[in-house]
Amino acid sequence: MVATRFIGWLRRFEKWFGFVAAILIAAGLYTGLVTSSPDYYQGEVVRIMYVHVPFVQTAMLSYFTLFICSIWYLWKRESVVDNACHAAAGLSLFFTAGGLLTGSIWGKPTWNAWWVWDPRLTSFAILFLTLVGYLMLRTFLEDKEKGATFCAILAIIGFIDLPIIHFSVEWWRSLHQPSSISTRGISIAPDMMVPFTLMGVGVSILFAYMLMVRTQMLYLQHLLEAKQGRLLSEGQFE
Amino acid sequence: MAPPEGGAVKGLYLRWSILIVVFSVIGFLAISRYDREVRTISPKVLLSESPNTEKRLMGMIDAGSLKGGSDGMPFRFSLSSEGAKAPVVFSGDDRESLRDLKTIVVIGRWQADKGVFEAGEIALTPNYGFITSAYVFSLIPLILLIFSMERRVALLYVMIKDEKVYQAEV
Repeated sequence: MVATRFIGWLRRFEKWFGFVAAILIAAGLYTGLVTSSPDYYQGEVVRIMYVHVPFVQTAMLSYFTLFICSIWYLWKRESVVDNACHAAAGLSLFFTAGGLLTGSIWGKPTWNAWWVWDPRLTSFAILFLTLVGYLMLRTFLEDKEKGATFCAILAIIGFIDLPIIHFSVEWWRSLHQPSSISTRGISIAPDMMVPFTLMGVGVSILFAYMLMVRTQMLYLQHLLEAKQGRLLSEGQFE
Repeated sequence: MAPPEGGAVKGLYLRWSILIVVFSVIGFLAISRYDREVRTISPKVLLSESPNTEKRLMGMIDAGSLKGGSDGMPFRFSLSSEGAKAPVVFSGDDRESLRDLKTIVVIGRWQADKGVFEAGEIALTPNYGFITSAYVFSLIPLILLIFSMERRVALLYVMIKDEKVYQAEV
């Protein structure tokens, strides 16, 4: 009953999230690629920031969602929460890969290197490997309930990487620049702040929308398998 | 006639068509801005086309060609690229940016009668290939992922509705 109510809620609200995300991202792309000015030092290449930073922030937001959902699953043992964990992990992997790729493309013209073993980059690459391990564990464990439990524990342990990623630029002297928005103030020009904010908020809301759609997709997939008898057949063989 | 997958999938295609139109317009505006404010031409194109409007000329300052600049006089040098050389007279303020063998972008007009490119400003060298790659490699997979997920969900609702409940054989 909890699952049916939850999926019904997702269906009711997902369209609004998708609509708002599309508007914000369209405005962010317009201001970022058409109206904002180039950077004094980096020139036009600064425009990569409007896609790279939102991807990295969303990768961390999606892992944080995975962490919360994993605790929730271990506490309540609801299968639909496990679907949400699985969905968040897949999306986090997608945004992490996107963040690494766009960062590498940005690194070449600014640092003259596609990759450096900088603390921020290395800790972010560890997040990518953790998520690959998480999804492999899900695939290889045949007992779905046991697999969900092990994966939730792995996600909770892996969460330790998130503060390391965030504070790496403060703790170590690194090539990667410190956060542009911090307690020390904002170090971005106002006309760059507009696309930066629109894209940051837009991609975060888009992640919420994608999580809603993907959780439904995984839930419906299991529902269809149950209806077709595949899950029952597996149970009978055991 | 509705597509075989049902009305939900038809709505999905309609929604995505609108999105594609909106994002294509933004793409067109971005390309127009690039043409207007960033695109450069090479000395070879300059010499062959002799444009009479303001242009951005990109090339490398030939070794030993940089002359003048003293007592407020303009700099004279030749820019080369793709095997062609264009003589340039630069009378702008940013004189420290000029060195032998440096690749630069100068903004000015080609004076066909004098056979010289008169420039008054130095621009940043464009590196739009990196920007295009970053946007293409991140946004296109994102769009494909969302579309495939939405389509799968729409189809799953139809399939679940049509599927008969499994009856175990006795």
